[in-house]
Formats: sequence, structure tokens, C-alpha cells
Amino acid sequence: MAANFWTSSHYKQLLDQEEVDVVHPLDKEKGITLEDFKHIKMHMANYIWKLAQHVKVRQRVVATAVTYMRRVYTRKSMTEYDPRLVAPTCLYLASKAEESTVQARLLVFYLKKLYTDEKYRYDRYEIKDILEMEMKILEALNYYLVVFHPYRALSQLLQDANLNDISMTQLTWGLLNDTYKMDLILVHAPHLIALACIYIASVLREKDTTAWFEELRVDMNVVKNISMEILDFYENHRMITDDRIIAAFSKLNLKP
Amino acid sequence: MTELDFSKKVADRYLKREVLGEGTYGVVFKAIDTKTGQTVAIKKIRLGKQKEGVNFTALREIKLLKELKDPNIIELIDAFPHKGNLHLVFEFMETDLEAVIRDRNIFLSPADIKSYLQMTLKGLAICHKKWVLHRDMKPNNLLIGSNGQLKLADFGLARIFGSPDRKFTHQVFARWYRAPELLFGTKQYGSGVDVWAAACIFAELLLRRPFLQGSSDIDQLGKIFAAFGTPTPSQWPDMVYLPDYVEYQYVPSPTLRSLFPMASDDALDLLSKMFTYDPKSRISVQQALEHRYFSSAPPPTNPDKLPRPAPKRESRASDSHDGPTVLSPPRKSRRVMPERDGFEGAYQVDKVGDHVGEMRQAAGENTSRNEPVPMSIDFSIFGAKPPNRPTINSADRTHLKRKLDLEFQHPE
Repeated sequence: MAANFWTSSHYKQLLDQEEVDVVHPLDKEKGITLEDFKHIKMHMANYIWKLAQHVKVRQRVVATAVTYMRRVYTRKSMTEYDPRLVAPTCLYLASKAEESTVQARLLVFYLKKLYTDEKYRYDRYEIKDILEMEMKILEALNYYLVVFHPYRALSQLLQDANLNDISMTQLTWGLLNDTYKMDLILVHAPHLIALACIYIASVLREKDTTAWFEELRVDMNVVKNISMEILDFYENHRMITDDRIIAAFSKLNLKP
Repeated sequence: MTELDFSKKVADRYLKREVLGEGTYGVVFKAIDTKTGQTVAIKKIRLGKQKEGVNFTALREIKLLKELKDPNIIELIDAFPHKGNLHLVFEFMETDLEAVIRDRNIFLSPADIKSYLQMTLKGLAICHKKWVLHRDMKPNNLLIGSNGQLKLADFGLARIFGSPDRKFTHQVFARWYRAPELLFGTKQYGSGVDVWAAACIFAELLLRRPFLQGSSDIDQLGKIFAAFGTPTPSQWPDMVYLPDYVEYQYVPSPTLRSLFPMASDDALDLLSKMFTYDPKSRISVQQALEHRYFSSAPPPTNPDKLPRPAPKRESRASDSHDGPTVLSPPRKSRRVMPERDGFEGAYQVDKVGDHVGEMRQAAGENTSRNEPVPMSIDFSIFGAKPPNRPTINSADRTHLKRKLDLEFQHPE
């Protein structure tokens, strides 16, 4: 699988962090900061996750949907591409692309059922809106739909490092799920993200993996940097309250 | 990103020309890209009343073709929405392998066959390398460009060159290229299914007609077993565990040589390895490309020197000069007709004569129109009726076919 990644469109599309961390001028005008931008994307990633649990799709579909959403916002503004519509549509498109189609009807049903907060309600969109947005997202993605995820690499690497016990598997898997709350998948090769999760987990569980890591032909500086980013995220995560997300959303001033 | 800015892409970038055909999920038309001057084929995907957005099959095609860039795979040049419909822009391809095989004016030398097979396998190798199973390999999905390059196309675009009776051809063709494990209902299959189909195409290039023309799935297996013998458990240990496995009466295999009398030893060796029953021991595409068939003489013909059907305009012009004999190849009527005479009498000769006029008409139209005509002619000439009209029993038919195979290998 890894061999194919290097010839994939995913690899060719990897961006630098600076390219990802650009607030679109239209959103900037409304006072959206880089922080707000990140918070909204994180919130939408969580939302896709929640929605996915209701429509029952595989983790892979969720991961692909979140990646689509993040890719869209490297090119399009939230002002023009309402996150509340982009998120479910990405899930819809990802479910098709990953060959486990969810009916648009079902998605809209849960969309309406799920909304809780009046401040950023999701229930105003109908099937036709999703289908319309699907086309726009395809265009924004430049029709590139294949995404490589770190999950497969993770289990292979754990096995290779002889760390594939339940506790390490669960911990690393959870860490990996959380990386989708960040833009890592747009910036780094999947196996490096997987390695960063193993690195963090082995430090946390006090497993000595130095020898194993040294044998791998990877740039450990990159792995350490990714790990630091993940740890930074956990540290800041406590500060991201619902209020801050609502505040960020209200800046966007989207139609009710 | 090398792609052009999407904001500038409106449908009037492309000058719309004639409709080429209709696929399962939309119309395909020819167009000129005003930016590059290139001729392209645009597939318009109907979305209209569907409640499920972008067609699933189309989406799959987009997804895969965006990853598969190769000289032997059709290029998806561009995609854009216009008036609520998604449009896919492909490089324009002149013809397809089915048209080449069916064109009795074309003589395919062993080197030509080698070249077509090599390009087919090269395209397939890229798919398999990227874990893509084509799953619909058949001659009319192998498109041929103006430089003679053969390119794999997915389901859909290939159909623009197909016959109008889509349902029939689709089902029948798919079946004729289906590997035995699929016919036994396997749910887990791998790249071997594409190899089997490629082998059927190889055989078809040698024989100039579909090799295993089953009329039902059961009959398809019968045809396969008649050609290669009923597989024994030692040949294919997993066979008996397949979901739809049924025991077939034991048939011994004729030698491959008797089925393909004119093929070289290397060709037969490769063919037998591609037609191996057990998918686990069937040759892989990469191994097939490394087979000595491709390194032994004659070397494969350079693609731009390969014989292709005459461009339509020319064939129309030549019609008026040469009269009816042009489209019913003289060598064929001379050679095959005596066979037919002995078989069903003079009636068929008249019938063929009638068809010639029809074909001349059709020759001026696009490929999708004229293609089924030579097909029906072919059947009547062979005496082998289309599979749904089995007036001759299969033993006779095989016998007759083998006789005909012999003759088709001789150029005149």
C-alpha cells in the first residue's frame, strides 16, 4: 500500500502547513482568525463523526469525509461554502467514494434529528442542497477522491514493533482518530502520522521503542514534530469551549 | 497544481460536435477543445431526476481515472459541471479493438497481435499495481487512438463505440470474458479475473471472433470446459468450495494447438498460462509481460504501424468505386461461402448479398451504428448462429469453428 501512496494523487497534493493555515480573504473580512478557522474545522470534523455514527458507516468513510472537508477549505471560503452543508455533503460523497453509499434521504433525516444548538443549527438543508453541494465539492476537490489513511499503516507498524497488544492498539487508534481534528492528513504522509501516534503512545506507556524507531528509515525529526503538534493540540483542546465555537460561527454570519 | 483554473471552465471552451453514442449514464459527444485544439470526447452524466446525486458508477470512474495516468489508459482530461450536469472530458479515441477484430479487411499479423496484447497487458499492469481491478475487460473497452495506441477505458465511454443493442451486448460480452471462478459464484476474486479476460481477448485476436461464446452462465462454463477440459480437483483444489459449484460431466481437453493451429509455441504457452483454471496459479499480468512470447521474434508492431479500420470518410469514397465486394471481403466470400453452401444451401448466399447494400449505407455512419451489421453478417456467414438461436448443436458448431479458424489465419 505504501508503495502506491508515493504515486498517488494524495501524495502529490500534500501541502505545507503554511498553505493549510490560510484564512480565505472572504472569511478574513468577517473577522475570522486562524484560531476560529481551526476551531470550526475541528467542530465540523466532530460533527461528521457524530453524523456517521447514526448513518452507520465505517471509520474509513469518516476519515475520508473529514479529509475532503479540510481540502475544500484550503481552497474555498466558509462564507461561500457553508460548513453546515459542506460537512454532511462530504460524508455523503465519501460514502460513495469508499463504496458504502448512504442515501441522501437518510443523511438529511439525521441532519434534522441531530441539531441541538440553535446558534449553529444544521436542519435547514434538504436533499437538493446536498446534491447541489456535492457537485461543488467535487469541483473544489479537483475530482481527486482517493485518500490514503494511516490506519492500515498503524496496524502493520504496531505488529512489526511487536506492540500490537490491546492496550497499545486502543491507545494509538484513539490518538489517530484525534489527528483528524487537525490538518495533519493534508500535510504529512499517512505512515508518518501513524508513527507519531506510536511514538506518543510508547512514551506514555513507557515502552522502549528507540531501537525499533532507529531501524526504520524515516526522518525521526518529522515524526517528533508531528508528535509535538498532536500534544500541543491536546493541550489547547481544553480551551476550545462550545462558546468559542459559537462565537466563531456567529462571525461567519451565515443565513439561519 | 497543473490543472487549469476551474473558474474559466465553461462549456463554451469546448465546441460541441456530433453525438458519438449513448452510455449507461449519459450521452457522449465529440468536441474540440478551443484552448488546445485537441479533439475530445465529452461524456455528459445525467443527474436530472435522480435523488442520489452524481452517478455512483461515474464517480467510481472519476476516482480511478484521476489516479491512473498512463499511456495505455484512457485519459480523463477534465471534468466540469454545466447546467446541473457533470461533464467528463476524455481524449478522443478513433476506434476500438472490437472494430479492429471484426473488420475483415484487416489482416492481423502475429506481430500486430503481439502489439495489441502487449498494450492491453501494460494498461492492466498499471491498474493492478494500483490495486484497481478493471472487471470489464473486453475488446470494445479497449480504445485505439489515432497514433495506434491502445488504451483501457472503463465501462461507459467504451460503450459509445458499442452496438445499439446495449443490454444484449453488455450481458453477452461480459459473460464471454468471465473467469470460471466468477461463473462459480466466487465472492472473493483478484486480478486473475482480468487476466482471464485478457486471455479471451488474446484468443479473440488469434481467432478473429469471440473465443468462448456461452449463451448462459452454465453454458459459458460448458464452453470453457469443452475448450480446456473439465478441471480436476488437483488442477484447482478450491473449485469444489465455490458457492455455485456444480459438478460437470468430465470432458477431456483437446490440445490447445488444435484450437489455435496457427499460433506460435510461445503464444500458446502464454495463452495456456493465462487460461489456467486455478486463479492462484494463473499467471499475473506482470509475469505475462515478461513471458518470452514478448521477447521472441517477431517483435511487436510499432503502434502507429498497426492496421486500423479505414477512416469513415475514406471508406465512403471507396465504396462508390469498388462496389459491394468491398465490405464483404472477397476472400471471405470465396473461402467461406463454399462451406456455407454445403451447410444450408444457397439461401444464405442471397441473404449475404442483401446485407452488402445495408452495410454500404452503414459505413458512412459512425462506428456505433455500423458495428452490429458486420456482426450479424459474421454470424450468418459462419453458420454459427448468434447464441440465442441454437439451431446447430454445439458439437457441430465447435467442429465447424475449428475448421474456420484454420482458414482465418491465412492471409490471401
